[in-house]
Amino acid sequence: LCCGYWDMAALIRGLRAGRVLRGLGSVAVQTLSPQGSNVRRAFHRTILLQLVNDSKSDTSVPPPSYHEVHTAGESSSSSAHGESSEDAQPNTSFQDQSGEHGEDYETEEQLQARILTTALEFVPQHGWTVEAIAAGAETLGLSSASTGMFNNGAGDLVLHFVTQCNAQLAETLAEQNNQVQLGQAESKKTAEFMRDAVEMRLRMLIPYIDTWPQAMSILLLPHNIPGSLKHLSTMVDDIWYYAGDRSTDVNWYTRRAALTGIYNTTELVMVQDSSPDFEETWAFLDNRIKDVVNMANTAKEVQATGESVVQGLMGAAITLKNITGMNQRR
Amino acid sequence: MQRAAKCALRLDLSRAFCLEVNVNVCMLKSLPPPRDEEEKAMLDSMLRVDHAGEYGANRIYAGQMAVLGRTRTGPLIQYMWDQEKMHLEKFNEILGEHRVRPTLLLPLWNIAGFALGMILTRIEGTMSCTVAVEESISEHYNSQIQTLMEAEPERYTELLQVMLLKNFVMMKKKNRDTGLEHDAESVPGYLLLKTVIQVDCKAAIYILQRI
Repeated sequence: LCCGYWDMAALIRGLRAGRVLRGLGSVAVQTLSPQGSNVRRAFHRTILLQLVNDSKSDTSVPPPSYHEVHTAGESSSSSAHGESSEDAQPNTSFQDQSGEHGEDYETEEQLQARILTTALEFVPQHGWTVEAIAAGAETLGLSSASTGMFNNGAGDLVLHFVTQCNAQLAETLAEQNNQVQLGQAESKKTAEFMRDAVEMRLRMLIPYIDTWPQAMSILLLPHNIPGSLKHLSTMVDDIWYYAGDRSTDVNWYTRRAALTGIYNTTELVMVQDSSPDFEETWAFLDNRIKDVVNMANTAKEVQATGESVVQGLMGAAITLKNITGMNQRR
Repeated sequence: MQRAAKCALRLDLSRAFCLEVNVNVCMLKSLPPPRDEEEKAMLDSMLRVDHAGEYGANRIYAGQMAVLGRTRTGPLIQYMWDQEKMHLEKFNEILGEHRVRPTLLLPLWNIAGFALGMILTRIEGTMSCTVAVEESISEHYNSQIQTLMEAEPERYTELLQVMLLKNFVMMKKKNRDTGLEHDAESVPGYLLLKTVIQVDCKAAIYILQRI
């Protein structure tokens, strides 16, 4: 059992070594069984090849069998896709490192990421739908039927956007952290840092704010919930990490829960906010952060008071014991 | 009389070995950044379990001190507790640096460890309990070491050093305590107690790796 697990892990590691963009486009591969996703990907690749390369005769490409795709790195598989266009490429590390394919080939994840990024421009027009993805694909010169690549349809688009925003946020926070480390900037207090980070992240929604309620409801669909929760938790973890939280006790959980609450409620307020430049949203955010800070301070005070009360009681008890002579040993 | 002598011997040996462990723990600068998802998950769960173990040991000593703090063995327990505190500090640092999530069961661990510490001072078979616990933990460290060695020994040399040393210390303690274990074997229900403890340890490790 142990060996089997490590073989699988090695296989997965090998498969993933070919990916360039980790964060983007990994949405489509969230299933647990690599075999199933490989088959699906190969199937979609075949569709894509046939649709895009009408000129090239793809009849020589045999439909990839389950066994063939599973044993990635077989020469038959690589030669079958050797004639592939510049758009699709079997994304296994064995082929990537073989040097047969030039740099103008990209992996399927990269292609999906490109399509989704372009599709974002059409969201204000079409909403978070498959039509937006189709419009994006057409802009890149691909057939609109390539939306078949995205099993989750609009969900893929929304999750891609969320991943992109989180990556941008993490980058900016890391950059700020760097500057503080180098002494070029001053470190902010926690409350201020939180406020700025959440505001920065929420401002990324502004271009899509009209259609954001639709996106939020898509994220709440049952099959999207694991993905959206994971993104939310990584984002919250990032913010706290760069705010300097290194706690290793139950505080780790309470802080992240508090920030999740703040973020979600502020997002909801923002969606229905019509004030200029969302002033009301930022005011709401300020108040929520103040609340949390107050609560933390109150908790500390309560604990200190409790401790002194307990000590007082112990002192009283000992005094009583002394008075009644119970403390003496005869 | 015999027990006191054995206690003193244990103190000296503990001091020798514990100091060695501390030096190495302090030298553990940092682990290499994880390459990909499963490696991070594996390291995460290992560090999480080890951190919870240190935390639990800390609380057990706290419980023992609460009961035996003012007796003759107080200083010994206090000394060993201080060693554990240093280990815990180091693990806290490692967790923070690598953004590992601490286990959700920490509050439970807090109370359980303290209670266990208090209980351990009462029952006759304390030594056998300690031996049983250390056997399980030793086995656990062994499996972690095996995992790391199978993956790639060069990446984890420092972590492996720490683990191997801790394992070595525990095995030494176990050998020392084997003599005391023979005394404890006369305690009725010793075998049952030992089995219960070992099963508990395994279950705890399993849960901690996940939650």
